[in-house]
Amino acid sequence: MSITEIVLRLHANSYYFFAILLFIIGFHTMLTHNNLIKKVIGMNIMDTAIFLLFVAIGYVRGGRSPILEPGVDHVFINPLPTALILTGIVVAVSVTAYALSLIIKLYKHYGTIDAEEIMRIRGGGSL
Amino acid sequence: MNLSQHLPALIIVVPLFFAFVMPLLARWCKQWCVPTTLGAIIFSFGAAVKMTFQVMNTGPFSYYMGNWPPPWGIELSIDYLTVFAALTINGVGLLIIWYGSKDLLHELKSEVIGWYYTLYLLLMASMTGIVITNDIFNMFVFFEICAIASCGIISIKESRDCIEAAFKYLVLSVLGSGAFLLAIALLYMVTGHLNFTFMAEALPDAMVLYPKNLLVALGLLVVGLGVKAALFPLHAWLPDAHSSAPSPSSAVLSALVIKVYAVAMIRLLYLVFPRELLGMTPVMEMILWMATLAIIIGSMFAIVQDDIKKMLAYSSIAQIGYVFLGVGLMSESALVGGILHIFNHATMKSLLFLVAGAFIYGTGARKLSELKGIGHTMPIPTIAFCIGAFSMVGIPITSGFISKWYLALGALDVGRPFFTAVILISSLLNGIYYLPIVVNAFFSKPEEAVKEPKQLPRQMLVPLTLLSIGVIFFGIFPSLILGIVYRAAQLLLGL
Repeated sequence: MSITEIVLRLHANSYYFFAILLFIIGFHTMLTHNNLIKKVIGMNIMDTAIFLLFVAIGYVRGGRSPILEPGVDHVFINPLPTALILTGIVVAVSVTAYALSLIIKLYKHYGTIDAEEIMRIRGGGSL
Repeated sequence: MNLSQHLPALIIVVPLFFAFVMPLLARWCKQWCVPTTLGAIIFSFGAAVKMTFQVMNTGPFSYYMGNWPPPWGIELSIDYLTVFAALTINGVGLLIIWYGSKDLLHELKSEVIGWYYTLYLLLMASMTGIVITNDIFNMFVFFEICAIASCGIISIKESRDCIEAAFKYLVLSVLGSGAFLLAIALLYMVTGHLNFTFMAEALPDAMVLYPKNLLVALGLLVVGLGVKAALFPLHAWLPDAHSSAPSPSSAVLSALVIKVYAVAMIRLLYLVFPRELLGMTPVMEMILWMATLAIIIGSMFAIVQDDIKKMLAYSSIAQIGYVFLGVGLMSESALVGGILHIFNHATMKSLLFLVAGAFIYGTGARKLSELKGIGHTMPIPTIAFCIGAFSMVGIPITSGFISKWYLALGALDVGRPFFTAVILISSLLNGIYYLPIVVNAFFSKPEEAVKEPKQLPRQMLVPLTLLSIGVIFFGIFPSLILGIVYRAAQLLLGL
């Protein structure tokens, strides 16, 4: 496959490409940062990437939102992934809220939000 | 309207409804919290029993939510595996919270006890939902409810260990559900369905067109569910989470929550993915080896622990390995052993964790070295511990023996005696860490810490006794439960 072909393919599937790129950024942030807040941010970026991928599945080029009007015939996008991701977003918000409240508690107990520092205070184990 | 027609929905809806009523009760009429919780779970258990009879008499059936037939609506599927899992969850869950109604009073602040029941009922509803739903996105939503509720029942005890363990568990289970959601996206992309049955129909064609999609989805599913079920290299969160939590939480997390994900994995691998795809990739082989490592290394870690609850937590890592060993071997007997071990381990591990809770309640000691001679001062919990420990080792007439027996037979059936040897070795390893506790409990002089324990209330003793009787009973009469497990295995293997 030549370079131009690869570029064209990437262009045609750019939603998927950027979704995966975002996923990797989020995953990397989550794994490598010691700051717990940054871990939660990474978690959210990762979730957003999955939502983007999921919504992109339902997109039809040139499609419109699926509101039926009598006598008018259009190409519609697939509404199901959008509806599912609405649920997904609600779930992600509640998990984030819960994670942040746990971080507040951790800060009260340890006086820091650095994972390494917490590990050092506890003496052993890994976060 | 015929109420019994709607049991598959009510078994989830009733605990869910009372979960949200609970904070009101906790505010205005505190004494009603416990009876309401018990009532809701008894209802679910009764519904599970009723559906079991229905399935055994007339075969599997499904229920359409809101009367929308699939593929449009959400379908609940009631077959042998799902009623078996629902029975286990609600039966064991009932005994644990009955015990917890007294034990929690000394572990939690009085103002959060009402919230504990909310979380517990949410957990029960979501676990039942995970096992009986036939829709993959619905399963994901229940996963998330289950994840938050199970982190909640750890972090509700606001000690710093609990908060930290809950955070670690939360981050890893979000990672697991992220992987699962990505797998759903990839499967939906190629099949256009979310319903298990329809996906299974569409996948053989999709496999030819888009093999890579399916491979990635399969990998993500195994990893995502593996993290949540604490399958060996992905188990890092489990020891802290299960050992620091209040005892009833530890019992429900170890006995039920990790099993639910195993059930989900069994249903997805056997009912949704085409057999040819599983034959094409070494995924079953990988599960097999991860399970083997879990069994051996989990037991080895357990040997060196001095904290009784930490030891039990590491032992859970080993025991979940047996379930996955049964999944990976793909023979009828092994699958029967694996599914049966879900129930057997649920009873014996909840028994052991509750006994550990009783020891902590009575004496405040949780180090094994401080618990020597406890058999003299707390005889009933110690005898219950012995029964649980014997069952873990797999001594005949206890239920642990039956599931190990079927697993060993299954390994021989497919001509892999190596895995039979693994089961034997792990039984010896289990013996190494369980038997000294039993011996020390009865044959050592009581330590200072255990000389004058607090008397256990009846609400704690009765569940312990019932669980011990259960372990022995299903070891002597396994046929009662084997009937349904055999049918479940045959349905899964398509025999």
